[in-house]
Amino acid sequence: MDLTFLFFLSSGLFLGWSLGANDASNIFGTAVGTKMLKFRTAAVIASIFVVLGAVYGGSGGSDTLGQLGRVNALAGAFMIALAAALSVYWMAHLRITVSTSQAIVGAIVGWNFYCGRATNMSVLGQIVSTWVICPILSGVVAVILFLFMRRLFHVWHVHLLRQDAYIRRSLIVTGALCAYALGANNIANVVGVFAQSQPFESIDFGGVISWSGQQVLFFLGALAICVGIFTYSHKVLMTVGNNLMKMSPRAALVVVLAQAIVLLIFSSQGLNAFLTSYHLPKIPLVPVSSTQAVIGAILGIGLLKGGRGINWSIGGQIVLGWLITPLAAMILCFVGLFFIENVFRQVVFML
Amino acid sequence: MFNVKLSLFSQTKQLEQKIDAMLDKIIESAMVFKKAVDVYLKEKRSDAYRKLSKEIKTIEHDADSLRREIENRLYAQNLIPDFRGNILELVENLDKVINEFDEVAHQFYIEQPEIEPKYHDKFRELVGQVCDCAENLAMASRAFFRDLPVVRDYAKKVYWYEHESDKTTAELKECVFDSSLELAHKLQLESFLSEVADIADLAENCIDQLLIYVIKRDI
Repeated sequence: MDLTFLFFLSSGLFLGWSLGANDASNIFGTAVGTKMLKFRTAAVIASIFVVLGAVYGGSGGSDTLGQLGRVNALAGAFMIALAAALSVYWMAHLRITVSTSQAIVGAIVGWNFYCGRATNMSVLGQIVSTWVICPILSGVVAVILFLFMRRLFHVWHVHLLRQDAYIRRSLIVTGALCAYALGANNIANVVGVFAQSQPFESIDFGGVISWSGQQVLFFLGALAICVGIFTYSHKVLMTVGNNLMKMSPRAALVVVLAQAIVLLIFSSQGLNAFLTSYHLPKIPLVPVSSTQAVIGAILGIGLLKGGRGINWSIGGQIVLGWLITPLAAMILCFVGLFFIENVFRQVVFML
Repeated sequence: MFNVKLSLFSQTKQLEQKIDAMLDKIIESAMVFKKAVDVYLKEKRSDAYRKLSKEIKTIEHDADSLRREIENRLYAQNLIPDFRGNILELVENLDKVINEFDEVAHQFYIEQPEIEPKYHDKFRELVGQVCDCAENLAMASRAFFRDLPVVRDYAKKVYWYEHESDKTTAELKECVFDSSLELAHKLQLESFLSEVADIADLAENCIDQLLIYVIKRDI
């Protein structure tokens, strides 16, 4: 196997690790924070479903990201992934939850700047608009779900202990679904840029399961995500879980459900076809950030309760993180590309 | 590694049954206590009273072991993390009410206070109010687990019966001290009346806390 490829892939794996460290907190952060699940249980479930989602659901790169910048050189892809990973890692280190999608978008815009290519402003506008729409929508969905669940438990006289058991199971199921969606949607962000140049051959497991070369690549990316989940996500997870607002297990379930629904809305082609058939405005199919969905849902519930329990300073830190992440990724990518091209003499873009 | 076992629903059901059994014990102890006092007023320390007093002791023992099992299971199975502390407190307070029933019944057995027949009706009334208090506390606690809005209805009843028991106790104490009994006898009766009224006070404290848990659960 080409060692150069493996070297370049390392930045993608590093980004995968950062994604695992960060985004697992979105899936199970509230469940672990409310002590409904142990961290190890959450980490094992998240890892299994992220791998399944990546290998079986991560069919290709994101079209929207592709439209933002067509990265056509391996060294360029390496630097984009590295810049995104470094900014996500830095934020994770500061215990601020960030969006990996934002980091990637920032890094791609940085690559566009370096190459002197015009960034497709309408696509960028569409993506940035979802950074605002997504948390608001998620907050609204969370409020509706929370009110519905409160009503349900008032009408349905189920024992408090039984409620606890149901919520625990629902948290596992919805968390697993979210982990699958995370693997499917974000694996393209992690190693998608390497898909064209991957040298892996297809693997056959005793004639029962067979993976294409791309699936092997995605599997490697997913493994990096798993390592991130196990080694670093616990730190970030506690911010989402408890610091932003003290939550009940019921609220924790609402947060995960709202996240799953919002991710689905922004990635459902079926829903878009339905809206088009009734001449309604389409929803942009953009890889939205699960972080923003989670924070939006938590704030939605907090505001419903009168806003007293919300730790606004942590909320402010998170919003600041959203602004700094794409900017940091963009600047890092720009500077990194300069070094790679002029010091290491690598081709970072094709004309 | 997985703390969520397949048998969690059955374990949850067992714990639900234990909490229900604990609440049943309060109702049982109140009913047996009422009957025991009635027997005492008629027959003083008879065999029948001895049996009833023993029955309350057994109920108290059972309630103690139920409380310990509930506490162990809640922690061992890591159940309802956000309410575990409150439930433990509730179960402990309920246990205190049962303990008080046992203590008062035992005190009757040991001290054998002389209660004149003219006080019997008022005394029965007081015991009835105290037992109603405890029974409504048990119903309010059961509602806390299953039907939250109803807790307030039972709480209202507990408060009302506690208030009534205070009035009855005051009236009885007044009668006792206005009588020509020996001072030692008066003081003994006063202490008994206070002990019985304390059961209603314990139930009232328990309800106060329960209502706070209701607010906490509702948000």
